Amino acid sequence: MITRRVVRWADRRLGFASLARSGLNKVFPDHWSFMMGEIALYSFVYLVLSGTFLAFFFDASEAKTVYRGSYAPLNGSEVSAAYSSAVHLSYDVRLGLLMRQSHHWAALLFTGAIVVHLARIFFTGAFRRPREVNWIVGVTLLLLAFVNGFAGYSLPDDLLSGTGLRVANGIMLSIPVVGQWVALLIFGGEFPGQHILPRLFIAHVLLVPGLIAALIAVHMAILVRQKHSQFPGPGRTETTVVGSRMWPGYAVKSIGLMAAVFSLCLLLGGLVQINPVWLWGPFEPGSATGPAQPDWYVGWVDGALRLYPPWEPHLFGWRLPNLFLPAVVLPGLTFVAMYLYPFVEPLFTRDREEHQLLERPRDRPVRMGLGVMAFTFYGLLLLSFSLDVVTRYTGWPVTVLVLVFRVVVLVVPLLTGLAAYVLAKALRDSDAARFTELPWSAVRGTVRRRSRSPKEPPTTASPVAGVAAEHLPVESGPVP
Amino acid sequence: MRGPARAPAGWVSAAFLTSTALTAGFVAAYITTDSPQLEGLLLGLALAALAAGLVLWAMHLLPSGTYVEERPPMAPPEEDDDAFQDDLHRGGQETPGILRRTLGLAVLGLGAAAVVPLRGLLPGSLGPSTALRRTAWGRGVRMMTSEGKPVRADDLEPGTALTVFPQAPEPADDATAVLIRLRPADLEAASSGAAGSAGLVAYSKLCTHAGCPVGLYEQTTRQLFCPCHQSVFDVLDRARPIAGPAARRLPQLPVSVDAEGYVQADGGFDGQVGPTYWRRG
Amino acid sequence: MTARTRRRLTPAAMLLTVIGGGVVLGQVALAETPAPSPTPAPTATPSLSADALRGKQLYGSSCASCHGQQGGGTQRGPTLVGVGRASTDFYLSTGRMPLKQEEGQAERGKPAFSRPDIDALVAYVDTFGGGGPGIPSVSGGDLAQGRSLYLQNCAGCHSSGGVGYAQVGGRTAPSILSSTPEQVAEAVRVGPGLMPQFSDRALDQGELDAVTTYVEQLQRPIDRGGWRLGRLGPVAETAVGFVGVALMLLVIRRLGTRAP
Repeated sequence: MITRRVVRWADRRLGFASLARSGLNKVFPDHWSFMMGEIALYSFVYLVLSGTFLAFFFDASEAKTVYRGSYAPLNGSEVSAAYSSAVHLSYDVRLGLLMRQSHHWAALLFTGAIVVHLARIFFTGAFRRPREVNWIVGVTLLLLAFVNGFAGYSLPDDLLSGTGLRVANGIMLSIPVVGQWVALLIFGGEFPGQHILPRLFIAHVLLVPGLIAALIAVHMAILVRQKHSQFPGPGRTETTVVGSRMWPGYAVKSIGLMAAVFSLCLLLGGLVQINPVWLWGPFEPGSATGPAQPDWYVGWVDGALRLYPPWEPHLFGWRLPNLFLPAVVLPGLTFVAMYLYPFVEPLFTRDREEHQLLERPRDRPVRMGLGVMAFTFYGLLLLSFSLDVVTRYTGWPVTVLVLVFRVVVLVVPLLTGLAAYVLAKALRDSDAARFTELPWSAVRGTVRRRSRSPKEPPTTASPVAGVAAEHLPVESGPVP
Repeated sequence: MRGPARAPAGWVSAAFLTSTALTAGFVAAYITTDSPQLEGLLLGLALAALAAGLVLWAMHLLPSGTYVEERPPMAPPEEDDDAFQDDLHRGGQETPGILRRTLGLAVLGLGAAAVVPLRGLLPGSLGPSTALRRTAWGRGVRMMTSEGKPVRADDLEPGTALTVFPQAPEPADDATAVLIRLRPADLEAASSGAAGSAGLVAYSKLCTHAGCPVGLYEQTTRQLFCPCHQSVFDVLDRARPIAGPAARRLPQLPVSVDAEGYVQADGGFDGQVGPTYWRRG
Repeated sequence: MTARTRRRLTPAAMLLTVIGGGVVLGQVALAETPAPSPTPAPTATPSLSADALRGKQLYGSSCASCHGQQGGGTQRGPTLVGVGRASTDFYLSTGRMPLKQEEGQAERGKPAFSRPDIDALVAYVDTFGGGGPGIPSVSGGDLAQGRSLYLQNCAGCHSSGGVGYAQVGGRTAPSILSSTPEQVAEAVRVGPGLMPQFSDRALDQGELDAVTTYVEQLQRPIDRGGWRLGRLGPVAETAVGFVGVALMLLVIRRLGTRAP
């Protein structure tokens, strides 16, 4: 009763009824893999909420202060205000450590969910026309998430993240011609200087999240405008969307998912320790700690740094710094390749049509092979960031591990990519419904067959379930 | 979209009630204890119960069904597109080219006005190349520990290492050095140039790979080991890199012992400190 | 010698001289290496305390084969002359000696000897002479100072969390989370194995007490943040993060439909 009156009161003044109706009635496809992006979205919401709490207590300053609090081993020590406020949050503020830890776990969830979502988009061809723009927005969101994570864990000015800042400084210095200027402008002087923490803070709480929020809005707006893509099936054509209505079913389910994401962040944040800055100690020039790694979304670059050989060639008398290729060129090329992929693939598939129906991964064996190769490569680089920990617990010398991984990182992706290509092709050309039902004969047959015209992915109603579009309940309503 | 049987509304209410109880528990824990584990567990489970209730509600009680919505093509019909283009270029015929070009110039100017002041991000007139080449070390500068205590030669046992800084109010990062006292047996094995007086030798502590402090000194192998990416430097051979990704040796600092027994530098580092930057040679 | 004596150096005399010389030389040689039996030679060695006597017994059966009869060392083990009581006590009480396997780094383990036996061995090895570091005293120290000293001097090898870290060539700086304060102090003063040694000029008694106090703090069983993941940092956190993502994928798998 009250809700009706309130809504009517507002509608009479703002006139949103028809807009709201089309929103409430919107049809959303139900496939489970379409909710991966929502995991990322809700992780971001949690990051903003928990981050706001943290920002009320954190002091992003390198000025020296004396910590006085309940963490006894630091009591009376002179440390930076940033570090002191981080330990203060962890030991002296109620809910402080829960918020800090759940915030950090949410960041790992956020970046992980984006990558999983990107994989789904890639392997199902959802980036094809008309969704190239949204792919570009999405890859930018990935980049911004990585950057913000790095900025965030560097804020407490502890020994572990300070060492990471040192490496970042070295990476900036390694850029040819302009490197010295880039490094000293960003840091406001030589490392560590007095300026980097306040600058990282503004980037981390204002600039980058603002950009992320704006791009998420654009990402969603494009999605609403273009409507969600969907897998082929009964009633699903290039001109229909089949699924549940947004309100109330889909929305309530989605809010439930948000509660589940928050729940996971809080359970991890309370029960599993992450980034115990009081143990790492404050950053001090000249101090070291091992093991020293960044978070995983920067970890693949760290792995590349460990594996890359000690080469510093001379180019026309100038020395090319060692860090440039693995830490600047490799990530740069990675993102350039990601941005360009939707525009390069049609050059080879010669498919410039608009697509609303998704492909199953098996329908594009080449894309499958390339994607698996790429994921294997970056996954192995990520694994390489843990070699010193592996050494610690196995006793295998780290120099041997590095040599082995140099070979592995170059050879294994080729093998997995090839295997994925062959298996996808076999699956596509056989009758097997799932990968687990694929017989070996089909694989052998694929390997023997040299060339075969690629099968067109189904674009019309599938005869499998035999249900035509007309037989499905259709709600007549405004079609935006 | 369906469970094995339709879950009654009772389950959903039970989930919401459980959530309420857990939230009450969380508030009690917040007031009475200071345990992040209790706080996280109770609030996390409260939200999990809420999630369960919402999901059960959506999947079993709310109207569901397969709905179909029409999806028109993205590209508008030709006439709409043409009309849009016409509206967009309204007034374009009457605009002389010179207006566009001078406006472009003005915008470029504003761009420069935004970019040039970025120089202010680096305070001071010292350019990067000068700043990076200089450290606080020089002839006669005494060494001190990170606590500010001057270093005496006999503070170091043979075979041990110490992190040292130039004597100054604050320990400076780029001047960090590691001072090592070699055992008498190693002095013979050391290449010429190593080991000034009293078997002391000093190198920059900043790894030439990415700048991490090379904090691990192994006295039996006389190697310096960097924890970040596992570069190894041979102390007896002018800190030449023998493993890992570092491509240059650690710059050496000439040291001597002054008349009062304190260790001092005899000059600056003999190479570029820290991670390599783009330069000649 | 007169011409007459020279004529009298018969083969028999030559033989006697040679044998006699051999006997004398043999006595001299035998006198260098003491008899392997536990009973001390009555005139060669000074009198040992009861502890050292017991230690000599133990030493003979457990240590002498590698470290030599008077701690002089052999191909298989270094000399023990001048190692000091702290070193002996450290290696024995942490179970690193007797070595369980010949190759590789000595690993911490269950001590092979009881405390009285260790004391006996310490007393005996000390009789080899040489004057290495004595057993350091241990008492409470300044916790904050200890934290600072630990992070500057120890964390680089033993990690900030005290769980140990890799060194070159497959060796490790071990975890210090099971060490007693006495063992920590001994290791600091001795510099066993790869570890550098810190004399009392590098770390005075107060600083040493501070370090041992902080190490005790590190050894407390509960970490404030919850499950400590071995205090390994981002490597372990990454693994847990991926498990979290997988969990959420399972959740949405239940929420949504499968392919039609």
